[in-house]
Amino acid sequence: MKRTPLFEQHIALGATVGDFGGWEMPLWYSTGQIGEHEITRKACGLFDICHMGEFVVKGKDSLAFWQKLLSNNVEKIVDGQAQYNFMLNPEGGVIDDCILYRYTAEHWMLVVNAGTQDGDFEWMKQNTFGDVTIDNISEKMGKIDIQGPTAPKVIADLVGRETIEKMKFFRFLPEVMIDGKPVILSRTGYTGEIGFEIYCNINDASALWDALLKAGEKHGLAAVGLGGRDTLRMEAGLPLHGHEIRPDLPAVGTPWFFAIDMNTEFTGKKALEDNEGSLFVYSVIVEGRRKPGDHAEVLCEESVIGEMTSSILAVSLEKKPAGFIRVNKKFEIGDVVTLRNSRGKLFKGEIVATPVLKGTSRKKMSVMLDK
Amino acid sequence: MTKFPENLKYAKSHEWVQKLDDRFRVGVSTFAAGSMGDVTFVELPEVEDDVDAEDSPCVIETVKSSEDIINPITGTVAAINGELEDTPETVNSDCYGDGWLYEVKGTDASEYDALMTPEEYTKYVASLED
Repeated sequence: MKRTPLFEQHIALGATVGDFGGWEMPLWYSTGQIGEHEITRKACGLFDICHMGEFVVKGKDSLAFWQKLLSNNVEKIVDGQAQYNFMLNPEGGVIDDCILYRYTAEHWMLVVNAGTQDGDFEWMKQNTFGDVTIDNISEKMGKIDIQGPTAPKVIADLVGRETIEKMKFFRFLPEVMIDGKPVILSRTGYTGEIGFEIYCNINDASALWDALLKAGEKHGLAAVGLGGRDTLRMEAGLPLHGHEIRPDLPAVGTPWFFAIDMNTEFTGKKALEDNEGSLFVYSVIVEGRRKPGDHAEVLCEESVIGEMTSSILAVSLEKKPAGFIRVNKKFEIGDVVTLRNSRGKLFKGEIVATPVLKGTSRKKMSVMLDK
Repeated sequence: MTKFPENLKYAKSHEWVQKLDDRFRVGVSTFAAGSMGDVTFVELPEVEDDVDAEDSPCVIETVKSSEDIINPITGTVAAINGELEDTPETVNSDCYGDGWLYEVKGTDASEYDALMTPEEYTKYVASLED
């Protein structure tokens, strides 16, 4: 299995590690998964995300390339802005979900999932035209996320308040120095809380991790494993590739309509039009204290109409079992569905709005710095 | 190498069994408690339930998963650890003590004899970690 440069630092912090897309990653540290989740909602968490993939795209035709390759309207973003996107196949299935960063109209970065990056790269190369070059920099780039209400204070202590106080959601600064090392500072994340995704030279990742841990001490920061990352993203209403969104199912009926702009022309658009109304993805909260489990069946009058795509605990909602379901029938908020686990046990799940929890992700930066 | 208590025997699915005067106490080992993560709820059997070896009379819920406890001893449930209703995290913090799960009045002594000794279990866990 592959390891990030921070592996030994994780072990020193008491990490329990596990396999994630071929990477040996921290699942939780000595704090424990629930504690790490709660710290991220209350103070802030630090996440090793070095395993994710990054591509740099340059050239005069790159804007047209993205418009064809990605599902959103890439013309909507300006220099220094980022955008959430799906990369679809012709059948409308999600090859990957990704964040597109625009430096200029001829210089971009795409950030993709760890387990899918090789396939993404192949697909991108197959679809280039004109003046477009793609450079896979995944092995040269490290990524550390800092997320939570006190994250802006930690970063302000390191880079100066004036550098970040006007930063809006989904904006980035292409070169900022932290502890003497150049980083890309992006106001994005996967937890629903305000914070940053920090991209750095892979050789600087280890020193940067220590600098962030140290600067975070007085702001309640703790290292958070992928376990906490999963419960945080579910509450924040964000999908996990391979679960809520998959290459073999068209991306219709999801709560992530903001990733798709049907007014543009892109690969997979026709399939989305053809399959509209065939699938729906909803957040659910499950009655009782037991979880139905991933792939639990969703029943409607005794026939199976879908499955649970993520079954998890909503730690910040009184630790209720919750998650996402994908079904072939439309429901309204408040409707109740029956779920059946692999042992035949039945559960009741209520359809609720996505996200199930509203965090600080969109709060004004200066307000969070003043708290 | 991890040390496991000398007074217990162990199953491959990581339950421990303690022989008491007229019954057997069942719990999970530190290996299981450590690898499953934070325990959030324990569904216990009821006293006087008949349980067969290989049954799953007890489920441990963690943040992400549901872990079936494979019952190691055939018999009748004689006691359950009701304290876990309010403090399921004891399974993580004290799995050999206050984090025990339930007790069974056994009917077949050979099942206990067939479980792994601490030495055997230590080797078994080491082989899993390789």
